Amino acid sequence: MSAAGALIAVEHVSQVYAGRDGAPNWALRDVSLRIGRGEFVCLIGPSGCGKTTLLHLVAGFVKPTSGTVSFAGTPVAGPGPERVVVFQEYALFAWMTARQNVEFGLRTRGVPRAERRALALRALERVSLRHAADRYPHELSGGMRQRVAVARALVVEPEVLLMDEPFAAVDAMTRQSLQEDLLRLWRETGVSVVFVTHNVDEAAFLAQRVVVMGANPGSIRADLAIEAPHPRDRGSPRFAALYSDVADALAAHHGRKAA
Amino acid sequence: MSLASSDARIEPGTDTRPPAGSFEEAFRAEHRRRRRHAAMWRLVLNAAGIALFVIAWELIPRYSSWINEVLFPPPSQVFEAFVPLLLSGEIVKNIRVSLLRAASGFGVALVLGIGAGVMTARLSWLQYLFEPLLHGFRSIPAIALIPLCILWFGIGETSKTALIAWGAFFPLWITTFIGVRDVNPIYLRSAACLGAGRLTTLFLVVLPAALPFILAGIRQALSVSLVVLVAAEMSGASSGIAHMMSEGHQLFRVDIMFIGLAVLGAFGFLVDRTFVAVARRLFPWYQITS
Repeated sequence: MSAAGALIAVEHVSQVYAGRDGAPNWALRDVSLRIGRGEFVCLIGPSGCGKTTLLHLVAGFVKPTSGTVSFAGTPVAGPGPERVVVFQEYALFAWMTARQNVEFGLRTRGVPRAERRALALRALERVSLRHAADRYPHELSGGMRQRVAVARALVVEPEVLLMDEPFAAVDAMTRQSLQEDLLRLWRETGVSVVFVTHNVDEAAFLAQRVVVMGANPGSIRADLAIEAPHPRDRGSPRFAALYSDVADALAAHHGRKAA
Repeated sequence: MSLASSDARIEPGTDTRPPAGSFEEAFRAEHRRRRRHAAMWRLVLNAAGIALFVIAWELIPRYSSWINEVLFPPPSQVFEAFVPLLLSGEIVKNIRVSLLRAASGFGVALVLGIGAGVMTARLSWLQYLFEPLLHGFRSIPAIALIPLCILWFGIGETSKTALIAWGAFFPLWITTFIGVRDVNPIYLRSAACLGAGRLTTLFLVVLPAALPFILAGIRQALSVSLVVLVAAEMSGASSGIAHMMSEGHQLFRVDIMFIGLAVLGAFGFLVDRTFVAVARRLFPWYQITS
């Protein structure tokens, strides 16, 4: 994939933070990554490997210390609605109902009230939460909140969904149904997804491509293409093989054997 | 053999319990009855506490030798003094004047305090420029400024509004500052990647996120307003509740002073209750613990 053809192009990016005593701390060192339109990519790695930093660079929350991040051929200058982030938790506005949260991105671009409302309800319908439209986030379960967050992100029709361990805080049963819903929405909308996780099962279940990262300094250690079609059956031998591929790649750079 | 007997009980043929519907009905009724009972009991005790206080206040000055009835008039005398003041309209006029002063001073402080809090929290250069001044001035009790204020503005409404605004400004500024400074960055990032500009972010995200702090500041500022109001009216005014009390002081009318105290107490209580009710209605997602 050429730099021009890629939707997201990260070129030789390093990100250095000042440590407590001012010593440079390499969150990312010389990382290059290209992601194509419509791809579903998982970034996986141990904590401290810079996967969230990489996501934040693409989102435009931080500027790289060196190197360039570009989106659709132009350098990323800041956050924007073509690259919406879904956070781990607590990102829904607590003072707005589910519907008002979903409407937020439409409100910023001046969509008239009635149209905004209709679009928001349709977006909630797609995550099966139309009945909860008038509830506040504190009245929703963790899984429902993340569904609203996904609806809020998708309603502005982004080109890429940047997801930062979005399902890490929900229980295992809920997580599986959230994953299935995400795959369905990805197929329906054609949006690209960059999904940060530390969960091997999640990466093996979701991704078309798994980027394995390692810490000290944060860098990319392996880039695995996963050919298996969706939906993947967790009970199948094929899935077990996928799982161990990802786990092996992760362990190879971690000095441990796969569990 | 408890296991065997409990096994036997769940067999349909040997079920001797009443049908579940009526049991649940009875359970609910019992629960409701208990809650009503507890609420009633609380109300009764509340009323009894007030009644005990009034009775003691009435009886002790009357029948004890160690309390002077002139210095500590019982409620019946206070009420006797209250009726003509109410009928002549004097007390209503004083309440209105005092309310207006408190409201105008507080209103000025509300706008300036929240504005200054937002600006200093969002723009670090403004914060660094003004923080020594604001913290310095904040340490001066508003009451200490009364003589100066009377020299500058006289004993008219301007000086009272200015004093109350001064006193109420600082709690509003500091709580707004803290609330806005500590807004969860995830909220700001969510707003930014959903395309929100500065003004949208301020009104739809920053201010609501800082609201718990701002409400605490408003509550504190309301009570400061009343304190400064009383101090300002006592040291130079020709009307108002506290002025009425200082007149009572000069005329040696303790009953009038007591009326003033009761009015001020009721005033503060009602302002606080109104605040809680309005906040609950306007911000249903935010639960205020009375």
